[in-house]
Amino acid sequence: MEAATARLRRRPRGRDGYGRSERRLAATMLAPSLIVIAAVAAYPIGYAFWLSLTEYSLRTPGLWRFAGFDNYSEALSSPEFWDALTTTFVFSGISVGLELVIGLGMALCMHEAFKGRAILRTVVLVPWAVLTVTTAITWRTIFEPGLGLAPVLLDKLGLPGADIVWLGEEPYALGVMILADVWKTAPFMALLILAGLQVIPDELYDAAKVDGASAWQRFRRITLPLLRPAILVALIFRTLDALRIFDLPFVLTQGANGTTTLSLIAQQELTTNRLIGLGSALSVLTFLIVMAVAFIYIRALGGNIRALAEET
Amino acid sequence: MLRAAAVLAALAIGIAGCGGGDDDDDGGGGADAKKVTQAKASGDVTWCIGKDTTGAFGTVVDNFNKANPDANVTLLELPEAADQQREQQIQRLQAESDECDVLGMDVIWTAEYAAQGWLQDITDAANKRKDEFVPSTLDTALYEGKYWALPFNTNAGFLYYRSDQVPEAPADWEAVYQQGQQDNGVVYQGFRYEGLTVNFLELLYSAGGSVVNEDATEATADSQEVRDVLTFMADGIKDGAAPKAVTTYKEEESRRAFESGNATFMRNWPYAYALGKESKIADEFEITTFPGYAGNEGAGVLGGYDLAISAYSKNPEGALAFMNFATSPDQQVIQASEASLPPVLTEVYSDPTVEKALPFAADLLQAVEQAQPRPVSPVYPQISEAIFTNVYAALQGDTSPDEAASTMNEDIQKAIETF
Repeated sequence: MEAATARLRRRPRGRDGYGRSERRLAATMLAPSLIVIAAVAAYPIGYAFWLSLTEYSLRTPGLWRFAGFDNYSEALSSPEFWDALTTTFVFSGISVGLELVIGLGMALCMHEAFKGRAILRTVVLVPWAVLTVTTAITWRTIFEPGLGLAPVLLDKLGLPGADIVWLGEEPYALGVMILADVWKTAPFMALLILAGLQVIPDELYDAAKVDGASAWQRFRRITLPLLRPAILVALIFRTLDALRIFDLPFVLTQGANGTTTLSLIAQQELTTNRLIGLGSALSVLTFLIVMAVAFIYIRALGGNIRALAEET
Repeated sequence: MLRAAAVLAALAIGIAGCGGGDDDDDGGGGADAKKVTQAKASGDVTWCIGKDTTGAFGTVVDNFNKANPDANVTLLELPEAADQQREQQIQRLQAESDECDVLGMDVIWTAEYAAQGWLQDITDAANKRKDEFVPSTLDTALYEGKYWALPFNTNAGFLYYRSDQVPEAPADWEAVYQQGQQDNGVVYQGFRYEGLTVNFLELLYSAGGSVVNEDATEATADSQEVRDVLTFMADGIKDGAAPKAVTTYKEEESRRAFESGNATFMRNWPYAYALGKESKIADEFEITTFPGYAGNEGAGVLGGYDLAISAYSKNPEGALAFMNFATSPDQQVIQASEASLPPVLTEVYSDPTVEKALPFAADLLQAVEQAQPRPVSPVYPQISEAIFTNVYAALQGDTSPDEAASTMNEDIQKAIETF
């Protein structure tokens, strides 16, 4: 085993002894998907980048000029961009973190064998199935001052917060946004983690029990390490989604009270203000930021897989 | 990695698609726009306007098709929200699509569409019928001395008040706020959106102020009037005359607050009247035209929709014939009675059917007559954003009224100077 992994590591990937004809076959078989990816991914990204270097007149039809990196310097020098960047990362960090904890808990519950498990698994997914815009409208109504469920309930229970204008004040507005996101996507996180849980062999737990490991030790030493790949995949999905969040702030607050995200400012410049150059520059910046985060995650995940391979 | 790229690409497509970078270079614009002078009721015409929630648009189309066997008008319904209607129309116009012949435009889009060369000049047709329209409504179709549209329906705000708490409508906004502070407060549209621009401009116009000069080439917002109105609105919230919650209110939230008995006064559009008469405060409220402010008479801001002919229409004569039909007295009566849409023709307001459907028709005519258009500029969306963002900051107490006024002025000037 030791020798086999060592050999695997020594050989650079891609030049590992496959014949030329096999490599050609691989290229042929990959070609269709690469072409599709180029058409749906590379072209629009390239086009958006090109647009971000240009400027269209808002007054004179057809008037156009090459603006170089003006749009980028305008975006990067505006405080709105940095505020939106901070908000986006704060939102993503807190909501994905909460979703991970809650999703993990939900997955562990759903993994246990009990009566009605199938129904529970279905019901738990309902929030995920609801459209984000619908979710946002629902939460907006729940937090409507004086009349919504939340202020009325807080008032009836005599709890503080009944008088707070939740969507009209910092930082509560961001709090509502995080709450709505967690409510909606924690089940998705749970589902991905549940899939990871189900491939852990029961024998490991049996063996650990025989060795006298406590429930906590079994969770720490068996469940968590073996769940790591599933958790990382779930985290990637959710973080990338959260960094691009648009629908929630768009419906809940239109970006007021510290809820403006990167996608929201890009959309506002593009569609409301029709500043196609600046809007494209903002989308390209968002793209690069999300790519960078994805890259970091994938490095982490890749390393993890290799580590796993070495352990077994 | 590739999956991530694909997900991101989908976003990029979405965004690039929305913007739809157009590569065309053929002009249009104010000077050499196509002109339509003849109306001829024949051929196919497609009418692109917001969702037909009451069925009244469909009625006009049916009536026209019945009366004109040679012509065939089709209704193409756009989304219900105005922003999305604009988005969808702009996508078509940038692609030079001939799908839409007649465009139903919110009155604030006229200047932008005309400046982009997306509309046909209908000055002659409008001049011929000038006397029929309420003058202020026709002003919304005017850009650079030419008419680009015919008004289809109009709108102006009202002051709603609880007649059980306030026996008589106060004479000015100062009294409204004072009374509101003693009773249950004043609600209006204070969310950070177009509605806040309207609410702010109504007070500013009454005060005799402005945000841009006559031809919208210079910002004039750094003025005493703007500072006064901002102070008045911000103090209203600080002193409790208006609840803090108004900063989250659009039209519907204000209506719900008023109908649930949580407010003494409400600024809203006429649509809230009929709904209010079905609520639990049905017999306890009245409406009135806007009171005065700062010693001046009340003023409003015009809403409503205009009809225009797309520059890419293949049947402009047919389109004009339909527009004339839709704005004729008989059809305007139907719009008012079936859909409660305020008519644009003066004579229609005294029609018995309309008076029955809109019991406040006389007040409404007065409100429309005293209302003014919002700044007529191709960059109106940015001007409006400059207004509502800074008014909102002042309402929230994030900036002082003085600071908000000068930032608003800078932002408007910057918008006007956009390439």
